[in-house]
Amino acid sequence: MATRNVLLKYLRVQIRGLPQSARPSPFALSPNVLLRGFSEEVKGCFLDKSEVTDRVISAVKNFQKVDPSKVNPNAHFQNDLGLDSLDAVEIVMALEEEFGFEIPDNEADKINSINLAVDFIASHPQAK
Amino acid sequence: MSLLRDKSSFMMNIFSFGRNLFTASSPLPPVQLPAPMEAHFWYILPDEIKSTNLLNRYLEILSPCEKENIFRMSGEQLKKRALLARTLVRTTLARYQMNRQIDPKSLKFWKNIHGKPEVDWQYADDWRLPPLHFNISHTSSLIACGVTVGSPIGIDVEEKERRLKNDTLAFARRYFSPLELEMLTHISDPEIQRKEFIKLWTLKEAYVKALGKGFSASPFKTFTIRLRDHKGGHTHLPPYMISEVPEIIVESCDDPENLGFGGNWQFVLLELAGSHYAAICLEQGKINEGEKTIPVNLTLRKTVPYVEDECISSAAAAVARLLG
Repeated sequence: MATRNVLLKYLRVQIRGLPQSARPSPFALSPNVLLRGFSEEVKGCFLDKSEVTDRVISAVKNFQKVDPSKVNPNAHFQNDLGLDSLDAVEIVMALEEEFGFEIPDNEADKINSINLAVDFIASHPQAK
Repeated sequence: MSLLRDKSSFMMNIFSFGRNLFTASSPLPPVQLPAPMEAHFWYILPDEIKSTNLLNRYLEILSPCEKENIFRMSGEQLKKRALLARTLVRTTLARYQMNRQIDPKSLKFWKNIHGKPEVDWQYADDWRLPPLHFNISHTSSLIACGVTVGSPIGIDVEEKERRLKNDTLAFARRYFSPLELEMLTHISDPEIQRKEFIKLWTLKEAYVKALGKGFSASPFKTFTIRLRDHKGGHTHLPPYMISEVPEIIVESCDDPENLGFGGNWQFVLLELAGSHYAAICLEQGKINEGEKTIPVNLTLRKTVPYVEDECISSAAAAVARLLG
């Protein structure tokens, strides 16, 4: 599912970016994309940032303590959402579950806003 | 410049009160410095402070930077909490004056390389203040500040009734040491298990904060906090500890003999106001083999800065010194 989404989003961007007159078919433009879509490399691909953002935001909103109206991509766990250190660790655990990979303690320490969580996850190939 | 002014008036109004001038602020009653191996624990209950008059007065003593930070937070409650936390730190430290009055507004702070705040005691050219160390912790319903002389201190407070989102054991499996997980697993009653988890969390958090190197330098998994029974010489894990002088100890998971661990850390665990657990950790000088560690002398004060203090004796129902 994730690889399909990645592939579709990549293709969509390609289609939008092209002038109408340019070519007969968007697929003809980058055959590499299509080929790569079916190769093993896609498994090591990074997740799309906007997808990560959506998933992080819904994981955080899931917390009873959190006021969902305050959760936006710029929200800081402590200053905007009023979360303490135990909450922050709980959020990291929830994100580990959501994205299927373990976040090491020395990295978890630095994740104290939605943006930082998104940046970290989007830059990790193990994230699912 | 005008932007700052606008922000300043905005901040005055966030507490629904116009600008209030205090020309003659009443001095803060001075207190004695903590002795070595003594900790002072001050706390505020935010729900008890409702006067916008008073809150605006507190705003006056903060630095421009602190005011900025508060301004940037979202929501009244968060702003109030942050304001009270800074107020507690400034007014508390200012009271440990030696020979002259200290204006809480004049205190300067710096952060060590890991982000732990310390007081800049270069107060004036001709004299320096004693090496006070402090640490704060807050929940939505209690803000605390611990103070010592000459020893790093870490504190943590949590609400007793706090619920975890994750399963307690799953959390412990992920973040606590194997021994601690084992201890928690042996508790069959889920409510007791949850409470012991919270106590353990506060102790571990207080320790890491006392070390001052951040969560990543001392991952929770790498050390175990447990009790030592002097009488029997056994090591027990709560809640099975039944001893005259239960002592909380911390051990490195890799180095149980503590040879490489360095420092001798003392812990106190309290139940505060019937609603919170509070852990305090400070460093004691090295003691010799066979010597008993001296229990930490603790002074507890509930305070409303500029209004009143209440010294809480450990005999009072409001506080139970659980351990340490």
